[in-house]
Amino acid sequence: MIIRLLLAAIVAGLVSGVLMTGAQELKVTPLILHAEQYETGRAVGHSADVSSPALILLGELFNPIDHAFAHADGEEDSAILLGLDRLGGTLMANLVTGAGFSLILLAASLMAGNRITLRTGVLWGAAGWLVFQFLPAIGLPPELPGFPAADLGERQIWWMATVVLSAIALYFLVLRNEPWAKALGVVVMAAPHLYGAPRPIDISSDVPALLGAEFAVAALATTAFFWVVLGLLLGGAVDRFGRA
Amino acid sequence: MPALLRDFPKPDTEVAMAVQTLTTAVPFSGTQRMTLTLSALLLGVFLVYGAGLANSAVLHDTAHDTRHSYGFPCH
Repeated sequence: MIIRLLLAAIVAGLVSGVLMTGAQELKVTPLILHAEQYETGRAVGHSADVSSPALILLGELFNPIDHAFAHADGEEDSAILLGLDRLGGTLMANLVTGAGFSLILLAASLMAGNRITLRTGVLWGAAGWLVFQFLPAIGLPPELPGFPAADLGERQIWWMATVVLSAIALYFLVLRNEPWAKALGVVVMAAPHLYGAPRPIDISSDVPALLGAEFAVAALATTAFFWVVLGLLLGGAVDRFGRA
Repeated sequence: MPALLRDFPKPDTEVAMAVQTLTTAVPFSGTQRMTLTLSALLLGVFLVYGAGLANSAVLHDTAHDTRHSYGFPCH
């Protein structure tokens, strides 16, 4: 039973990941590719030119600079798992991300003691979008390659803290009825934003602002699509496989 | 009452009913429920962390467009 529900959640996430890949290719990836032309000054995407993944991996062992930090400085090559092309890598990452978010959503509904069903799936999906996408985006808007940004570690810590606090806040706001719980929910939700997200010192960028605005909306819109689909599929899966 | 989580009570009401529901009708014991919750949470966080946040060059390059699309802090 446990395994069956876990597998059902994973499958719901995988399907959502496939659909998300389509939405990304349509609305988001073109903007990333466009921005990368300004990022590197070349008309070549930095993840698109894979020569020999094995050689690159070998090279990385002796390279003290992490690509995750380095690729705004005009890196030459990149390595994608299993030698996949760029779309393949994105699809694989979306599958993993989809399965992960699906399992987290299942765990959240179990912890909250409020079952996710086909009927409530959209609401659970919307909650996931608020927690993982919209509320963190208030402090750290979805960023294009080449955009100025503060230290990666600091931003990741702020992002994770905001996700956790937002989830707790939504629990108090939505699933508790006491007035103090509603008030606490508002305070907890606002806390990371009052504290403030890490900001870059220099905000100048070669990437046009219009691209950035389009990208922020496209990223939030496609992830909203992803979370709604995921909520519905997971709700349907729990309806189907949560039975004895 | 065939289902694991169906019609779970609101936290401040129907607690007695919830206890009854859990003990009489749900095929899941508390331990099983805890196992399910924890395994889903840990596996889910592991997957999302690996795809979205892990500081590995190969993972970063593979998931690059996904990380940007989902608004994970990147670069």
